Amino acid sequence: MSVLRADGVTVRFGGLVAVQDVRFAVEQGEIYAVIGPNGAGKTTLFNAVTGIYAPTEGRVEFNGKEQVEPLTVRIIARLLATFFVVGVSTVIGLNIETIWTAVIIDNYKFGELFPWAHGIECFFSTLWNLPPAKSILPFLLGGGIGAGAAAVSWSRGRRAPDHIARSGVARTFQNIRLFNELSLVQNVLVGMDYRMETGFWSALFRLPKFYAERSQCHAAARELLQFVGLGDRADQAAGSLPYGFRRRLEIARALAGKPSIILLDEPAAGMNPSEIVALMALIRRVRDAGTTVVLIEHHMRLVMGVSDRILVLQYGRQIAEGIPEEIRVNPKIIEAYLGSENHG
Amino acid sequence: MTMRWRPGPIFIILAIAAFIPLLDQVLPAKMQLSEAIRGVFLYAILALGLNVVTGYAGLLNLGIAAFMAIGAYTFGILTCEIYPFQLGFWPAIALTIPIGALAGFILGAPTLGLRGDYLAIVTLGFGEIVQDVLKNLDVVTKGTQGINPLPAPNFGGGEWTAEDEYKWYYLFFVLLVLTVLAIRNLERSRLGRAWFSIREDEIASRSMGIRVERIKMIAFATAAAIAAFAGGLSASVLSSTGEPSNYDFQISILALCIVIVGGIGSIAGVLVGALVMVGLNSIVLVKATAWMAAHGIGGQGNVLLSPNNWKYLIFGLALILAVRLKPNGLLPPRIERAHK
Repeated sequence: MSVLRADGVTVRFGGLVAVQDVRFAVEQGEIYAVIGPNGAGKTTLFNAVTGIYAPTEGRVEFNGKEQVEPLTVRIIARLLATFFVVGVSTVIGLNIETIWTAVIIDNYKFGELFPWAHGIECFFSTLWNLPPAKSILPFLLGGGIGAGAAAVSWSRGRRAPDHIARSGVARTFQNIRLFNELSLVQNVLVGMDYRMETGFWSALFRLPKFYAERSQCHAAARELLQFVGLGDRADQAAGSLPYGFRRRLEIARALAGKPSIILLDEPAAGMNPSEIVALMALIRRVRDAGTTVVLIEHHMRLVMGVSDRILVLQYGRQIAEGIPEEIRVNPKIIEAYLGSENHG
Repeated sequence: MTMRWRPGPIFIILAIAAFIPLLDQVLPAKMQLSEAIRGVFLYAILALGLNVVTGYAGLLNLGIAAFMAIGAYTFGILTCEIYPFQLGFWPAIALTIPIGALAGFILGAPTLGLRGDYLAIVTLGFGEIVQDVLKNLDVVTKGTQGINPLPAPNFGGGEWTAEDEYKWYYLFFVLLVLTVLAIRNLERSRLGRAWFSIREDEIASRSMGIRVERIKMIAFATAAAIAAFAGGLSASVLSSTGEPSNYDFQISILALCIVIVGGIGSIAGVLVGALVMVGLNSIVLVKATAWMAAHGIGGQGNVLLSPNNWKYLIFGLALILAVRLKPNGLLPPRIERAHK
């Protein structure tokens, strides 16, 4: 079973077809490269895979499942509860003066004890005896708007990047997106966040499990920084890192959640030859540690050196797929990719 | 492990604040500070709340005063004798926190999908709507009269009065310290880190698996809860909720000025910012007015010569100077050294 499978993925922006009918499957433990001239739709394909854009057509599967949050009974129950709560709140809000008068003002004599049981009885009887225009109508209207909005926001979020990331798909960005004001360790810890279990209350009251998890995660984050070769800079701000190291930090951050697949968007951009050699070694180590790697890259020595298979895109279509040796000698690709870029 | 503990700026500021009443003992009556500093504490709590949503999560909230009003009226309705609930000070002040959080949730749920400026406008509108509702719902809120009298805490023998200045001072001090501790605990946790990451880059944090809406919602509700808590305290010390227009846009802007002047996203900065902004307003200007009156300068008739009327000029000036000279605030946040 493939770790990642794209089945006829098409992304359209209005009339522009950025990616058209792309099909590929990445197997467990592979290094898979996507190449193509600038504007071929590589990053758009990545964005469609990771949920930043929804593909206009086609499916993306991870480990044989489409990454769309399923419509479960719990979600339906939550929508119904939203309907009820918002509806009742609307009715109470609209009739608050009537209700307050009937429940509080009519029953409460200054200085005397308030008859709570009678008050609650009055509350329900007032609510019950409201004219339909002031009860049923606002209930349906308010509840409908509330539940409708909740349903819309749920359906928008069901293929959101956070949901896909949580299912074990990590990525880096072409235009590096680090959290510049956080330290390196903190950056990695953000990537680890969805694996953490302690919540609001254990942080607020500093419960023992908070400390346990903190020390465990900090140790893991430092280890990961060590792994990408940034161990001695762990407490520095990410914004102060030299350019070549930022990509490594992005890789560490992406690996922090122990993803089953990592997508690298031009990891070698802006690196010098010796940094690229080190990056190739790092990519191999990531794969050897058990993470499948998909990468977009322009740097041919890197692509040919590390990839097991290569997919070539041009103008949003896939024009070839194969092992490096096949791609190297394929005349179509030399013309379309190398030819056009080098002589154009 | 040997880790030498060094006092941070927050500790130093709070330690100095703890000794202000002692200083008052030796200062002449005209120079007494503790009552004014109490106001600083109140606004510091409010601004700490705003700092969570605006400083940490980067969501501009221009309606924080509305949550303060909700806290004040919650406290009023729960404690005042004209209502049947009649809780004491402590349970009522504790209840302002969840009710504030609920109000934050109600505003946040439909609006947190909005970006930057749009959210600011919604919160601004919310601030105005809450005032109008409180003003017009006079069956419940007594309209412009405000709800009074409200109880003070009775702690160590009998209910406090305005005379018990130092009791109030230390009550506010302790509550401020608790607020600081709570926020510091949240800031230095998984949640705080998620807030920062959203402020820095929302798309990147989402792609790292951070549930952005949920994290924003927690920031919004936390801020609202703290602001409501500040509102309850202010109602208690005044023994009245005051009229709804006491919680207008000026208060929201004052809180925002405190956060910006002090240092966005920095607890110590907010404390210093509160001292500077509220101190200008309620210490320097008040003392200046008293001094000028004593020396026969200005007086009732002359608007320009009354320092109290200068405050908006000074707020604006302070804000411009702060943004021009210290864009990160007086005490900007430091990169947190990760704990081993």
